[in-house]
Amino acid sequence: MTAQSITWIAIVGIALTTVLTRGSFVAFAARLRLHPLVEEALRFAPAAVLGAIVVPALCLRHGRVDFSPSNAHLVAGVFAALVMWRTRSMIWAIVAGMGTATLLRLYA
Amino acid sequence: MDVEPISARIQWRGAAARAAFRVGVTDIAPAIPATVAWGLVTGVAMAQSSLDLPQAYGLSILAYAGAAQLAALPLLTAHAPLVVTVLTALIANLRFVIYSAALKSEFAMLPFPRRLGLAYLMGDVPFVIYSRQSPQFDRTLRPVYFLGLGLCNIVIWHLGSFAGLIAAGRVPAEWGLDFAGMVALIALLVPLLATRAALAASAVGGAAAIALDSLPAHAGLVVATLAGIVAAFLAEHLSGRGR
Repeated sequence: MTAQSITWIAIVGIALTTVLTRGSFVAFAARLRLHPLVEEALRFAPAAVLGAIVVPALCLRHGRVDFSPSNAHLVAGVFAALVMWRTRSMIWAIVAGMGTATLLRLYA
Repeated sequence: MDVEPISARIQWRGAAARAAFRVGVTDIAPAIPATVAWGLVTGVAMAQSSLDLPQAYGLSILAYAGAAQLAALPLLTAHAPLVVTVLTALIANLRFVIYSAALKSEFAMLPFPRRLGLAYLMGDVPFVIYSRQSPQFDRTLRPVYFLGLGLCNIVIWHLGSFAGLIAAGRVPAEWGLDFAGMVALIALLVPLLATRAALAASAVGGAAAIALDSLPAHAGLVVATLAGIVAAFLAEHLSGRGR
């Protein structure tokens, strides 16, 4: 087999992981009964997953926790969160976050 | 074919369905700039890998999973063993199992092809917005609301991703466009933090994710999310409920 066809097989394999994970319960196991407590706990999936994505992205720099003001992503992210909290506008939050990150990159 | 009563009442056409679809598009619209940026970053990374152009487009269209694509790219480039590459993508995609479980009963009344189609449109942003906003819709209108969110998201993401493939070297990494996607997730998180349980979910999920950061292919993300869910559940049951 050529390297190219192996790459294509890998691409199809990656696509299958997308279908299997997203479809797991919605498509393939829709009749499966989950325990009511599990269903109840899953209501907190959005807050849990967003925390698990966002907190390390802001607090880790080069693999270490960095709470100093020189951590541009932390400063920009916290500012974006404050703007979101006050305005409830995602557009303003993105403008604030990206603006702060850009200014810190250029001038700090 | 057995047509179940609720399945017959699901609305895909008509004024109410069109309105719900439009609300879906409107609800996800504020995230468009960030989704374009995130798609762009993924597209640029693929253009700069060893994939040829048909492979890059093929991966983008078939997989439709930014984090999994970015995790698999170095392995594809290095011609790592097939199993390793696919397993890495699987781990990066594993959080979608949690989303799928959370939305299972919402779409259970639909026939299999439609469930599969809606599941394919699942993404971080559509999932979070749907979880928050869907209760305002009648159950018969929720699938078409999700369709509005999901279709808008996939079109926008692919536009960004294709732009990234074409622009390739002309988007400097210093612009930090990938941070735009992160800010959008922050903006989605803030309104969720209205209860003590949700705060516990985020704080514990975040702390666990930091502790598990060294695991490959975002494997820590799934464990951290589960830890956050359990923490929220405990916070809710230990604090309120008459005790």
